[in-house]
Amino acid sequence: MPRMPIAVLAISVAILLFVATTQGQAPPAAPRPAPTVRDLAPLDLTGYWVSVVTEDWRYRMVMPLKGDFGSVPLNAAGRKGAESWKAEQAGGCEAFGVGSGMRAPGRLHISWENDSTLRIDTEAGAQTRRLYLGAPPAAGAPSWQGLSVATWDGPPDVIDVLRTGGFDQLNRGTGQAARRLAWTPLKVVTTNFRPGWLRANGVPYSDRATITEHFMRYAVPDSGEWLTIRTVVDDPLYLVQPFMVSTNFKKEADGASKWAPKACRE
Amino acid sequence: MSSRPALVAALLLLAPLPALAQVDLTGTWSPRYQEDFSERVPGPELGDYTGLPLTDGARRYAESWDPARITMPEEQCRVHISPYIYRGPTNIAIFDERDPATRELIAIKHRISTFDQERTIYMDGRPHPPAYAPHTWMGFSTGVWQGNMLVVITTHIKKGWLRRNGVPESDLATLTEYFVRTGDVLTRISAITDPVYLTEPLVKSEEFVLNTQGVPHRAWLYKCKPVVEVVRPEGAVPHYLPGKNPYLLEYRKRYRFTESVTRGGATQTYPAGSAPPPTGAPMKPGGPALAAPKPGEVKVLRVQGQVYMLASADGNMVVQAGDEGVLLVDTLPAALAPAVLDAIRTISDKPIHYIVNTQAGEAHTGGNEALAKVGPTRPDRVPLGSGLGGNTGGATSIVAHENVLNRMSATVGSGPEGKTARPRGSWPSDTFFEDENDFFFNTEAVQVLHQPDALDDGDSVVFFRRSDVIAAGDIFSTVGYPVFDAKQGGSINGVIAALNRVLRLAVATGNMEGGTMIVPGHGRLSDKMDVVEYRNMVTIVRDRIQALVAEGKTLEQVRAAQPTLDYDARYAAPSGPGSTDAFVAAVDASLRASK
Repeated sequence: MPRMPIAVLAISVAILLFVATTQGQAPPAAPRPAPTVRDLAPLDLTGYWVSVVTEDWRYRMVMPLKGDFGSVPLNAAGRKGAESWKAEQAGGCEAFGVGSGMRAPGRLHISWENDSTLRIDTEAGAQTRRLYLGAPPAAGAPSWQGLSVATWDGPPDVIDVLRTGGFDQLNRGTGQAARRLAWTPLKVVTTNFRPGWLRANGVPYSDRATITEHFMRYAVPDSGEWLTIRTVVDDPLYLVQPFMVSTNFKKEADGASKWAPKACRE
Repeated sequence: MSSRPALVAALLLLAPLPALAQVDLTGTWSPRYQEDFSERVPGPELGDYTGLPLTDGARRYAESWDPARITMPEEQCRVHISPYIYRGPTNIAIFDERDPATRELIAIKHRISTFDQERTIYMDGRPHPPAYAPHTWMGFSTGVWQGNMLVVITTHIKKGWLRRNGVPESDLATLTEYFVRTGDVLTRISAITDPVYLTEPLVKSEEFVLNTQGVPHRAWLYKCKPVVEVVRPEGAVPHYLPGKNPYLLEYRKRYRFTESVTRGGATQTYPAGSAPPPTGAPMKPGGPALAAPKPGEVKVLRVQGQVYMLASADGNMVVQAGDEGVLLVDTLPAALAPAVLDAIRTISDKPIHYIVNTQAGEAHTGGNEALAKVGPTRPDRVPLGSGLGGNTGGATSIVAHENVLNRMSATVGSGPEGKTARPRGSWPSDTFFEDENDFFFNTEAVQVLHQPDALDDGDSVVFFRRSDVIAAGDIFSTVGYPVFDAKQGGSINGVIAALNRVLRLAVATGNMEGGTMIVPGHGRLSDKMDVVEYRNMVTIVRDRIQALVAEGKTLEQVRAAQPTLDYDARYAAPSGPGSTDAFVAAVDASLRASK
């Protein structure tokens, strides 16, 4: 972006000073409500999104064979856990927990539950997630989806340039300049979840893992809107290094008519 | 709102934001392979096409692919194309190229350790090259920031892999990438549109982690020199005939899949019942519209050395220009002669001393008469031609194999109405009957090499030895099947022999890109690897039809077997001599005649 010439800047500031001063003399205008987190969201993630499985097809679209945990950086305990899985456990809700639920083939329905909470319903496993951009509720008992706290994730240097408190203000719903940060991904950190499986054949993650996701939206030429969710599971109990995958979804205008959730087995 | 916060907000909005919403991507990035690991690191298993929205033609190509192909010297140093190279084991160093005077960003560069590639993503708003410009492994990339996301569009990519077990990506594909950095993790999302081998965009994503520990300098090198690993007859291309690949079953058996699972296709990438109706037909072309010559236009593209390509909607010709004057290879149709001359004059104002014809047809010789008349204008010059043909009055020598003269001077019709096939003034003045005719012009050797029984009996290719450029004529095209005429001495085996001769002449750089450049009769400027792809296609189609003929199949049965299924979306004309039907019939007839 080119720098604004000094003269133009000075004139603009003078005008704004005048406007700001005269505003004090005008009759008081009706107070406008402060923009909400929802109003200021740099990305619109809402809608129906269908997974398009072009990666890890053998692990995601069909039931992987028992003991097939290739490319998951398991330690000995993790391998032992994966090998102890039994076929009769297939379909359990462990496969649809927050560590891997986004990988299960199916649709997501993302909507605003309120002005600061995004809700994700899934077809696969018929799960519901809540991403809290405002103050999260008190943690209750651990659940499959845990407690997800979301923030718009931008690099520190951009925040410095804005000199506004940038994302802090944005996430509190008071920022203005931060609206410029379009296509900034949504970062989601989830805690307080039940242990689950990274793959449907029982490759485990523990409740001690750190699970961090980034939601990224973009347009593909001649194919409409797409959403990619990067999931990083860092599990000191079962993994030797973070397990990192990204999952791709295509927006569906008629997703509501196709919506067919299938519950998992508790 | 009080005045003070309003002022602060206003100032903030006015603050200059030179790098606003642009993330610093520079640094060295190392990949994570926890997704598609078996494909990306050890390599995909044969017959695994799962998760790919393939056309029927792509599947045929992949099922015919023999891994022994990569033992061919031409294939050993093949580079993974830009859509695929990030999926392999590679480190990437990202750095900026800035204008030294203004520090404005010109380009973002990617140094890719696999195959020693350096990719340039132009950020200065320049357009993509025209459609007739050469393709490279990395292609031509332009980028724009969308907030914190770098969006890159790449065209002019060579033919390569969608998956390196033989699943092809065509040279008409367009790549759109989205680079997102958060903290020390970089995600690259790619969407490939391919109007030849995909039915819908192929979207994938990979992760890279910032590497602050450095990568050993040797890891950035990838020196490749082809050697003969397996002795084969010249031009032999390893492949399986349709339905004869025994290794496709291994993957199915290992994972207990049915054939319909491993064959891929868009339907299986969606949850059950969610896919659009399958068509198997290629998708629409994507990416920016690339400039191409309109009918009547002639465009100039410098090749290298003293050689230029002149591109038109009717085909290509070549100009060599130096201190001595101008040499033309072919002259395009007569109607284009004024535009051709205008184009030549943007290169050189020196006289036209030589015209070399690679074929007798109007598309190659139509401008002979008009351009020969321009000829040398200096009064002290004497005609170089011997005057054997009709160009006795000019000083421009028109060189061609004698069979070109025979075709052009043949009598058409009979009696008083009879006339010659082409006007006398366009006939070659200097013919040869040997295998080649060489001369020296503009300080370089020019070799005119006759290709017997190729498209007909008079074809030549022209090799500029110092400039290192070959004018291949219609023996090589990037846009169509070879159109050969058995009645005039052409044959499919002659076409293949001619292509192999071009490959013997051409030398590519270490990574099979550039080096000797080849101007096709139609299509874009090419290098050796492009001719390899074309030679492979013609050879494989020949082998398939030959096998069917040997089995006693009729022409209709040969057609029903679809021996060109994997190439039709790339090369078939909708009708006429370049159509699938005509090409299959010509190959069939040629092989039956040679039995």
